[in-house]
Amino acid sequence: MNIRLDPRTKLYMILIVSAVVMMSATTPLLWAVRIIITLVPIVLLIAEKRYASAFRFFALYTIALILTFFFLSDESTGIIKSLLTGYCGIIAQFLPAMITAWYVIRTTKIDEFISAMQKMHIPDGITISLAVVMRFFPTIKEEYLAIRDAMKMRGISLGGGNVIKMIEYRMIPLLFSCVNIGDELSAAAITKGLGGKIKRTSVAVLKTGAADIVLITGFTVAAAVFVIFKYFV
Amino acid sequence: MMKNNIEIENVSFRYKGSAESLLDNFSLTVKKGEVLLLCGESGSGKTTVIRLINGLIPHYYQGELEGNVRVAERDIKETELYELAGTVGTVFQNPRSQFFSVDTDGEIVFGPENIGLATDEIIRRKQETVKELDIEKLLGKSLFELSGGEKQKIACASVSALLPDIILLDEPSANLDRTATEYLRETIIKWKKQGKTIIVSEHRLWYLRDIADRVIRMENGRIKNEWTGKDFSGLSSESIQKLRLRPLTVEDTFSSENDSSSFLDMPEENAVILENFFFTYKRRPHLFFRKKLTQADEDILTLNIPKLRLPKNSVIAVVGSNGTGKSTFLRCVCGLERDCPGVITMDGKEYKGKNRTELCYMVMQDVNHQLFTDSVMAEVMLSMKDKNEKACEIILESLGLLPYKDKHPMALSGGQKQRVAIASAVAAGAKLLLFDEPTSGLDLSHMEMVGQLLTNLARSGSTVLVSTHDPELIGQCCDYILCIDKGKVGYYKIKE
Amino acid sequence: MANVKGNTSPKKNLGVKDFITVGIFTAIMFVVEFACAMLGYIHPVMVAGLSVLIPLVGCIPMMLFYTKIEKFGMITIMSVLIAIIMFVTGMGYLGAPLIILSGVIADLIAKSGGYKSFKKTVLSNGIFSLWICANYFPVIITADSYRKDLIDGDYSAEYCDNLFGAINYKTIAVLLILCFVFGCIGALIGKAAIKKHFEKAGIV
Repeated sequence: MNIRLDPRTKLYMILIVSAVVMMSATTPLLWAVRIIITLVPIVLLIAEKRYASAFRFFALYTIALILTFFFLSDESTGIIKSLLTGYCGIIAQFLPAMITAWYVIRTTKIDEFISAMQKMHIPDGITISLAVVMRFFPTIKEEYLAIRDAMKMRGISLGGGNVIKMIEYRMIPLLFSCVNIGDELSAAAITKGLGGKIKRTSVAVLKTGAADIVLITGFTVAAAVFVIFKYFV
Repeated sequence: MMKNNIEIENVSFRYKGSAESLLDNFSLTVKKGEVLLLCGESGSGKTTVIRLINGLIPHYYQGELEGNVRVAERDIKETELYELAGTVGTVFQNPRSQFFSVDTDGEIVFGPENIGLATDEIIRRKQETVKELDIEKLLGKSLFELSGGEKQKIACASVSALLPDIILLDEPSANLDRTATEYLRETIIKWKKQGKTIIVSEHRLWYLRDIADRVIRMENGRIKNEWTGKDFSGLSSESIQKLRLRPLTVEDTFSSENDSSSFLDMPEENAVILENFFFTYKRRPHLFFRKKLTQADEDILTLNIPKLRLPKNSVIAVVGSNGTGKSTFLRCVCGLERDCPGVITMDGKEYKGKNRTELCYMVMQDVNHQLFTDSVMAEVMLSMKDKNEKACEIILESLGLLPYKDKHPMALSGGQKQRVAIASAVAAGAKLLLFDEPTSGLDLSHMEMVGQLLTNLARSGSTVLVSTHDPELIGQCCDYILCIDKGKVGYYKIKE
Repeated sequence: MANVKGNTSPKKNLGVKDFITVGIFTAIMFVVEFACAMLGYIHPVMVAGLSVLIPLVGCIPMMLFYTKIEKFGMITIMSVLIAIIMFVTGMGYLGAPLIILSGVIADLIAKSGGYKSFKKTVLSNGIFSLWICANYFPVIITADSYRKDLIDGDYSAEYCDNLFGAINYKTIAVLLILCFVFGCIGALIGKAAIKKHFEKAGIV
């Protein structure tokens, strides 16, 4: 099974989930809505054959729910229990948004995302900058790993126990590298015509299919049910 | 009658904030369909010429420009850079920093998307380019997983997809191994057949020998010599050497098979002994403790060197194509891969695991990653266990760095940075020095300096392992050649 | 033919190079935010420490970023990008107005100093650091309704405090002030680091 969603649908999903996680569920019906909304991205992850992360999220969410409902209550005092309360509360509350975000980030190609942003009439400056951000995360990782290796060889990974040095030794070479790469990247991008007055095109095809419509409708209904039953019933 | 495609007239240029001009009353015309090779030492102005033609000067790199540049009947000064995108394409030196996308497909269509071509046209061009440059295998991959050579292939493809009449290459082979360089040669030949005007600025000359129609050698921002491609190929190796250029031919040092491993019986006290160097990137699933790797895991091993002796006080070249385990080997030796169970024995002392970092130090290919402090002196002192300024100055003196001791390491030239890294290795008391491609992208003089440095280090009591693609460097300074092939020792011999 | 001086002057509008610069520094700042937020795994209460940690850890890249700004819009774009990334990574959208507002104001302040005045830069960075509080918005909003619901459901106030500890609508003012103060302090530290390294190396 292969579901290709329009990036705009995915953004809408995030929007709804982020809104729902901000309202606390008080009745079983509300909990049911929340759980269903959480299960959707998990199912989508399975459809994308990302079984491990789907399983991990599912297990984490289930455990947090079980602990919150059955083991932690008013009498939860003591350090461990109070820690657990904090964790489980946060996980049960915010994990749905995290799962959706994870799903979107893992399954959306950057050019699709950029193309979606263009379709939504976001200015070119912002889409270009955002594309650079996406391209730079892996670059920062690469550079950082090389710097970490160099620090290991010098035996200064802990900065001689000095936290400021620890940060300085990592940050300074990283910034020098990033600035260099940025200069060369700009030069290369400009020679390939980035920044012209002509409207950029994009080969990423955005198709809104049946799955998109089902999901958009489903999420809208879920959000409506949640709001109505929480505040108006 | 061919018309002139590029005309540079009496151009002088000086970068903003720089005292000396890089080009001095420079003139050059290039005909349509001509292949021009620009050579000359670093800093002779080759890159500046490339930047004049693609318009990065004066539109991106600011400075004082006098004279006229016309490319494809446009005045460069009056032309916006994006208008040139379909006319002039540039392949840059550093494969890591010239791509804008994250995946290969996106990078090939990046240019055509920028100039606003219709989607069908972009897809058609992409398919054509992919077929022409034979890169089907690279499609659908993340650029971050590719080797330097593969990245450079994508860079060529992304330039090619814009169908420019003029293609510029600025030291494109600097980070490539032999196979990738030969592929680059094929690509340039294809472009030449399509009638494109090509200008290559390069130190490595062997792969361009019979492609170039004209060769120009620059010195101090002027044209010093000019040959037809044919005359240039006919130059003797002595005259090439005299011109301070790298050789036109290289012997295939890497394929020789006559294994003269008799020196392996050398007495133990004259050797650094490596044992159990096994490593794999494909980890087996484990429950609590990872099983120590042994030779029995042969099928999954990326590196498989059960025993090896390195002659002390010598320079040992580590050769082999990219991706065959050379850098894994170096990483394991200097203790960066903690999972590698390798043991190094030197002077009767055993070093394993983390302790390997005490004995070894690697000068990385991108030396910028290993400079941390704000002065050369502080950088060296950082490595010393007992901070001794006198000893530090002696080390700096021996590497010719004393005049720079208060400078910021990042303000130095590439070669000087390398020496700062060596100085901190010496200060830390490292006996086994590893170099990862120290000469990539260097001209003859700088390469000879590195070679001399390696020899000096070996003479003064260090053992040097240097991974390299440059046969010239091996010829100059290496005593032994160790070839790593598929993670194993391919051959290991004394250099004839 | 007359020799034309090809001296290029900085253009009025933001160009590709500026967009790329913004992208790079936004990526770095987000990595800083992410690394600091990792401490939140120790206990959610630690998240309150972000308002001190991020300005301090991120001070060098921020100050380096300021040296590259010449035109209005770069800080604003950075704030928009941060808002977008926070939305996409599931951290909610309620903070977006705060992020973008602090970005625009910081941009205006820096502009009034011609992007050169150090005093204005310090102030600008202090204001811009307020975006960090956007991290707390979902927690605050949730905590508020949660607390009410829980107390209505006969849970004790202590239990609720365990849940959302140091971050609630009462402490947000303190957190905002902390962000501002440490943003200013960070600017001073960052400036010193820039002088020590980048100016000495001749990069800026």
